[in-house]
Amino acid sequence: MSLKEPIRSAIPYRRGNVKPLLNEIIHALDRLLNDDEPTVIDLASLPFAPGELEELEDALGKGELNAELDALGKSLIRETAYPGVWWLEHRNTEGEIVGRYIEITRSPEILMSQDADIGAGRAKLRDSFEDSGPEFNKEAGK
Amino acid sequence: MKTIPTLGEILQAQGVSRRGFMKYCAATASLLALPPAMVPRIANALEQARRPSVIWLSFQECTGCTESLTRSSSPTLEGLIFDSISLDYHHTLQAASGDAAEAARHAAMQENMGQYLVLVDGSIPMGNPGFSTIAGISNYDMLMETIEGAAAVVAIGSCAAFGGIPGANPNPTGAVSVQDLVKDKPVVNVPGCPPIPMVITAVLAQFLTFGQLPDLDIHGRPMAFFGQTIHDRCYRRPFYEQGKFADTFDDEGARKGWCLFKLGCKGPITYNACATVKWNAGTSFPIESGHPCLGCSEPGFWDKGGFYAPLSTGKFDSGEKLAGAAVAGVALGAAAAVAGRRRQAKYTKEA
Amino acid sequence: MDLLDFARGPALQVAAYIFVAGIIWRLVGIIMLKEKPEFSDPRKPGGFMAALKVIYTRSFTAAPFKRATLYPKMLGYVLHIGFFVVILLFVPHIVFFEGFLGFDWPGLPNNAIYLAGVATVVSGLALLVRRLTNPVLKLISNFDDYFSWFVTMLPIVTGLIMPVRMGVRYETLLAIHILSVAVLMIWLPFGKLGHSFLVFVTRGTTGMVFERRGAKT
Repeated sequence: MSLKEPIRSAIPYRRGNVKPLLNEIIHALDRLLNDDEPTVIDLASLPFAPGELEELEDALGKGELNAELDALGKSLIRETAYPGVWWLEHRNTEGEIVGRYIEITRSPEILMSQDADIGAGRAKLRDSFEDSGPEFNKEAGK
Repeated sequence: MKTIPTLGEILQAQGVSRRGFMKYCAATASLLALPPAMVPRIANALEQARRPSVIWLSFQECTGCTESLTRSSSPTLEGLIFDSISLDYHHTLQAASGDAAEAARHAAMQENMGQYLVLVDGSIPMGNPGFSTIAGISNYDMLMETIEGAAAVVAIGSCAAFGGIPGANPNPTGAVSVQDLVKDKPVVNVPGCPPIPMVITAVLAQFLTFGQLPDLDIHGRPMAFFGQTIHDRCYRRPFYEQGKFADTFDDEGARKGWCLFKLGCKGPITYNACATVKWNAGTSFPIESGHPCLGCSEPGFWDKGGFYAPLSTGKFDSGEKLAGAAVAGVALGAAAAVAGRRRQAKYTKEA
Repeated sequence: MDLLDFARGPALQVAAYIFVAGIIWRLVGIIMLKEKPEFSDPRKPGGFMAALKVIYTRSFTAAPFKRATLYPKMLGYVLHIGFFVVILLFVPHIVFFEGFLGFDWPGLPNNAIYLAGVATVVSGLALLVRRLTNPVLKLISNFDDYFSWFVTMLPIVTGLIMPVRMGVRYETLLAIHILSVAVLMIWLPFGKLGHSFLVFVTRGTTGMVFERRGAKT
């Protein structure tokens, strides 16, 4: 059995978890606009009835930006139909879901290039044309 | 004692990017049921954490707990083994066997004296040491020898935590739990038959990240995952309150997903994370799939009167005994009546 | 064996034996007594129907006393009806009875049961206060009265606490609730709670005797 896709239940059962969550997102957007304060909601911590996670995803919809991250497995970082509200899905190298988050922020932290990586990349770039002429170091291409 | 590299150094050496590390930390926070705001602290702790040595002892068990752990997806077991812990001994998973394996165990104990974790699954038979042995060593001897230099012991699965199925009536092997035998080291129980894989790895992740064991309840179980009953987090709870129950497994109520109390659900007295964390990466849990909760993370759950006997049924013993009580009542009543009639005769005139 | 296993097992079993033996003991002990001699000819046959009639009519106060006894009468009805609603119409209880009766019946939603339970406890408290403050009642009340009140209220109160927890673990509350029911079952055949099965005997006897004597019933 594959764990790669959420199993859609045959009988969706609405327990009313979605509306309060959308309300919470509205308040988070207020905090973002007024206080510049981001919010992260861990969806794994909320007990969803069968069908409700899909209901939430549909309610938030898809926006203009869709990013795929490839680090220790694929991750989906998508801005929903509501700007500032981001849907994040992290998967491991096996393709299984390891985390689902809603981030209310201008840009999720993980989208941005990280200082440690920038520093390491700069060193690699430097090495690539110091060793030999215009040829790229095979290592640098990794 | 050899110096162990920090996790940060290990991941860096493996070429894991900062983004990858952030993902890992977020997944760990989720795993530990910690709020996302804790992620920076987790990142900091993980970067400086050193891989603890882990020795896994399998005693009287069905290997279901190891199977459960290998299904753990967050982080992956392979990831957990290679990145986070050093699984120095696991006689089911490791390639070496016999003397070589035992030598590896002793080496790990020596090199990490006072710092290694001992994970145990399966109960320990006390009836006869020969009932369960590894490389000719009895379970009891191996446990006592291995915990000498351990930092802590984690009893994985209901067998190790409470005796489990070997310990169920009539307990022919004299099976006991880890906490029955280990008195001078901290013991964490992670029960379940099997435990939710995520919960097993969360305990290890907690130890790895914060160097300490989680808060425990009265049965020694991590409060983060065993602090609430299934009943209090069950999505079918509104049906219980409304009085809507399934009477059989295929009736209308069952099909509509109504409460399974009448079919024997032990949710009200079972503490576990099944209703929130769920199984198979959050897919479902027994009640959601239509089967009443067995109560598998509770002590003695095999002997609670039957999986399909509702929680509110009494265990009334035989009808013969009750009939006997009725007969006794008649006898006592007759005796009382005889005494009563004598008294009546004394005080009443016959007509 | 933990407290819950003990409560659901040996405690309930012993309570059931004492309950059955006790009720039969008292019934047999009373029914086998000699009938009081009659010193006059019966005006009416005064048979079984007379007994049934009075069992029914005694549920209602005779006209001269209605006004004076209205308050305790109302409280008594709320207490008894609430008590039976909670015991017989709460689904987990129905499942308990199904365990040895073999059949079940529809129940009420939990909120309705909780309301009935609260009403029962409130009326029970009001009746206790009355017993303690009314000079006549205070004079004639004994251990039997107060203890019977206590073992009747305890299961209901413990049952009402269960959904609320009050900081106690559910399985502990369930065990205490079941133990309180066991105590009730053990005490019921003896003492004033015996009225639960003896009321039919006493009212019936009164009905038969009175009708034979020509008294209005």
